[in-house]
Amino acid sequence: MSANRLEFATTSATEFVDITSRIQEEISRAGLRNGRVHLQSLHTTLGLAVNENEPLLLSDFKGLLERLAPAGAGYEHDDFARRFDIRIDEPVNGHAHCRQLLLSPFATLMVEDEQLVLGRWQSVFAVELDGPRRHRALAIQLEGEFATQGRETAESLVEIELARQLMVDPEPIASPMRRLVEAGGKRLRPRLVQLTSAIGPRNDPLRAAELAAAVELLHNATLIHDDYVDESTHRRGRPTVAAAEGPERAIAVGDYYFAKATRLIAQMGNAGVTSAVAEALEAICASQIDDVALRGTYPGDRESYMRVIRGKTASLFSAACASGALLSEANSDVVGALRRYGDLLGTAFQMADDVIDFSPTSGKTVGLDIKQRVLSLPLIYAAEDRVVGPEVRSLLAGSLGDAEVGRVTELVTSTDALARVREEARSLVEAAVRELDAVELDGLRPALVGVARSAVDRSS
Amino acid sequence: MSVQIRVLEPELDRLEGLWSDGLSDTYHAYLDQIDQPKLALAAALIEVGLRLQGLGGRAAPATTLLMGDLCLARGSRLLADHAPLAVQVAFARAIELLSSKAASEEPAPPARQLLAASLGAAR
Repeated sequence: MSANRLEFATTSATEFVDITSRIQEEISRAGLRNGRVHLQSLHTTLGLAVNENEPLLLSDFKGLLERLAPAGAGYEHDDFARRFDIRIDEPVNGHAHCRQLLLSPFATLMVEDEQLVLGRWQSVFAVELDGPRRHRALAIQLEGEFATQGRETAESLVEIELARQLMVDPEPIASPMRRLVEAGGKRLRPRLVQLTSAIGPRNDPLRAAELAAAVELLHNATLIHDDYVDESTHRRGRPTVAAAEGPERAIAVGDYYFAKATRLIAQMGNAGVTSAVAEALEAICASQIDDVALRGTYPGDRESYMRVIRGKTASLFSAACASGALLSEANSDVVGALRRYGDLLGTAFQMADDVIDFSPTSGKTVGLDIKQRVLSLPLIYAAEDRVVGPEVRSLLAGSLGDAEVGRVTELVTSTDALARVREEARSLVEAAVRELDAVELDGLRPALVGVARSAVDRSS
Repeated sequence: MSVQIRVLEPELDRLEGLWSDGLSDTYHAYLDQIDQPKLALAAALIEVGLRLQGLGGRAAPATTLLMGDLCLARGSRLLADHAPLAVQVAFARAIELLSSKAASEEPAPPARQLLAASLGAAR
């Protein structure tokens, strides 16, 4: 949430002050992507209205207010002889108070895609009813998903922390990891750490960035070993460490950052955080073994697939969410809900990744998962398909050259497998979002919902 | 199987084959030093894990590497759950040293020597 005051002066007794652009500036300054703006007049003779900024119409409104509550019409409030404790400069303004009763002292406006939601002719007015006044103020609060400035600041904190950690490491170790880090990546896990670390009472963005960077290093360490195991030549458009510098270097770099990340996390001094991440890492490693073992019965079945991806992918999403919340000392209900949210989100994320492997516009090589015999839900569904299933299974049982991979891809896309997986991923995201309903998240729900939906509705 | 080993059994899930293949001996070597079975097992898993991976030597084949990774991860989780912070940090630093030496192709101290010293970090 962001809170501020809109301050201004007025120049006449009754005046419609158009504050639309001021509100929009506040939205941009705070980086509110989607949410609401709440406005409240801090005066009893200043109202709020949403209407058309057309001078003659505003004149009509002034006339209407004058007719409904004329100035000097014998208001009891103006009978100073009957009032107590009045100031020496007390204004004669019974009419202004009555006029405010006809307006509203507060307003809530919606924001979508960083823009106030207003109709073509709508403007927001602060309505001066007892001017001129040198100082008027409105309280303004913005709540919802803050996507620009706040997020950029948080993201840059993680990037700075990653660079800082790599700067102090020996070059033969740091250089391959730096290439991987600088090649990009979605940084979803650090984002989840940062978001969830703002939920509890101990919200410390610097500590959150340290944890987020350590989790990202740990994730990258697992990728470096994965790439060797999968014999991948490229990741994020660059040669993998194993391909560029050999498997020995890849193993050493992976081990180094596994150890360093766990040390950085331990040194934060929160046992719950340390355990959450350590458990996730163990689940990842165990699932990797299952993943490779299942390649013998490729493409496997849905149950095995779910078991593997919950360990391989969802466990670190879940740990990222739980560890952020634990770091901020959120209560156990919140930690539990976020843990489940992360698990569901991570599972959905992996399913979306599987679908992207079949997309020619993703920027990745189509069918790479098939070539490397990586578990893939669309492939499992296609292999179970009554029409194309036998051919898919037959092709997967043999060696997989470009022609075979191309044909399998064609067969998968001819079924409803991709649509089914996409739908399943969306259902999981909605289940993840529902996990957030029962707990108090200090206004961060829209951001977590946004992350969840964008993790699935993506093209790369 | 002794009572002590039975207590450790859940921690050996998926690693049963390793127990008779050197992990047991390594565990007992650390247990001689520290009378805390879970910490001794953590140290043993890390030593065996590094050996399986081929760190500092020839890279292990993929499946063996993954087994080594699991040993390291489980050892690390045991430390997270049972070791004081100083011991956790000492172990991590030992692995950092061994892996950076391996990456630089420089000679490294024996893993057991480093890990045994790490166990003593709490004292």
